[in-house]
Amino acid sequence: MQSEYMYQLLLKMKDGDQQAFHTIYDATYQDIYRTVSFLVDHQQDREDVMNEIYMQMWTSLANYDTNRPFHFWLHGLVIRQVQRFRVKSWRRFRIFERIRAFSREESHWDKPGVLTDGTNQMIAKAIQKLTDKQRVVIILRFFHDYALEEIATLLDIPLGTVKSRYHAGLQALRKNLWNLPPERMEKDNDY
Amino acid sequence: MTTERKIRELLNKEAETMECPPAISKRIEQSYFQYLQRKRSERTMKKRLIGGIVAAVILIPTAAFAAPPLIEMLTRTPMTAEQVKVDEVGKATLEKLYSAFPETKSFEIIDASNLGGDPATSTKRKAIQTSIVLQEKGGTGKKITLHTNGITGEIEHVIQENWEPKEKPLIALPDQEIKAKVDYLIDKMYGSIEEYEFAMEQMENPNQKTYILNYTKKGSEELIYQVFVQGNRIDVTLYGGEPTPSNLIKVEGFFNRDGKPDTFADSFLNDEKLFALLQISPTELKQELSKGKSVVEVAASKNVSRQQLIDVIAKTQVDRELEGAVISEQQLSQMLKGIEPKVIYVIEHKSETPLKK
Repeated sequence: MQSEYMYQLLLKMKDGDQQAFHTIYDATYQDIYRTVSFLVDHQQDREDVMNEIYMQMWTSLANYDTNRPFHFWLHGLVIRQVQRFRVKSWRRFRIFERIRAFSREESHWDKPGVLTDGTNQMIAKAIQKLTDKQRVVIILRFFHDYALEEIATLLDIPLGTVKSRYHAGLQALRKNLWNLPPERMEKDNDY
Repeated sequence: MTTERKIRELLNKEAETMECPPAISKRIEQSYFQYLQRKRSERTMKKRLIGGIVAAVILIPTAAFAAPPLIEMLTRTPMTAEQVKVDEVGKATLEKLYSAFPETKSFEIIDASNLGGDPATSTKRKAIQTSIVLQEKGGTGKKITLHTNGITGEIEHVIQENWEPKEKPLIALPDQEIKAKVDYLIDKMYGSIEEYEFAMEQMENPNQKTYILNYTKKGSEELIYQVFVQGNRIDVTLYGGEPTPSNLIKVEGFFNRDGKPDTFADSFLNDEKLFALLQISPTELKQELSKGKSVVEVAASKNVSRQQLIDVIAKTQVDRELEGAVISEQQLSQMLKGIEPKVIYVIEHKSETPLKK
């Protein structure tokens, strides 16, 4: 969807136009939900993160740089909220260490029944095994097709760091998925 | 096929199987609605400041939509129409509505949810708020939404939509008729408004014509009802009366020791839900305690059991500690249990020496 159009809709939504809210919501929620699902494991957590992303959307509209594509801004929100959530959950972890450890066993990429395909399940698991930092880069790169430079801007980290996380992530996936020996880095760009 | 391509394909395939649960959409919509509520109240606050009605100003920012804050701390559980009918609060709310507007009996319950409660175990955990949406089958799609305080049973919020024909929406009517419609709705839902004064103004919203109607008690500036009229919708919020709005000035030193305020229990007792449960203002509670009574004794005189006290206070404390984090039922009950001894200590404690006259 056109960025300028989306921006106008957002302004309307902020002013209380419920129609605009629904249009924006319908246009974005699947993409956001899927991204969040890839990054956050627990269903309940996803729900909270989703809620906060939308909340953020209408409270921080002022920060939207109209020169940038709407989706770029949106994914920025998603990333920040996911990170914020992690910080929060880490703090919680200290307080309720035991309780948390217990509930960790429950956390899974939970969509039983849907994931009948063995390969799909494998990729899900392998991606889950990545560190959070690697996972974000992998999802942005392969699910959203962002260039590594764009990812650096989105995550607000140096390009070199993005590259190293990207390569480390890929290596780990290869190892887990196909038990392939690590390839040389130069080959990584042919897709 | 390279690893990269495989990953990309698998991710996309995986993504297609992910469907956003409708509960999330509901919740976000609800949040948006609350956001609007809050925004509107902020607007009125500005206006009122200019008008110089200071007393009312203190009321507005915090009292807005009393139960859930912008970022919902508690989860909302959907309810079925059947659950509403057996739920204590839900049943009472429906009865009120049916007696006010008998035609709504034929309406369909299109949506209902509990905030912070669990309909399956409603005896154990009371919902803070129960929301019910009813809609006329066919016709003009008349709709009415009710948000009821789960503790006091008071209907805090009524939204009436599409009760006027589409060709001639509510907002197109002359001011006097709009007021008459609003009066009628309040009169039916809450009782006579004769003793209220009211002020009507148009909000400066260029996109949509919106009216705000403020009802205050005669001779007092306390806001009782605030009404928004927009499009074909009347939106009534109850501020005054019970439940006690959250604008209460925090009281310090509920207990005293050797005649001096003792603040050890304040964080436990400065709890709106506790005041709502006891139907008491914080100052009154402080006075009662200074007579050497314990909270349990004060509660007993109001027919509130010790266990109810513990439940309410423990819940607030746990919520505060969690800061909106979500944990499982089991963890929650563990935490509630953990805090119980402290709560009991507080509510059974008595001021050590009665206040010297």
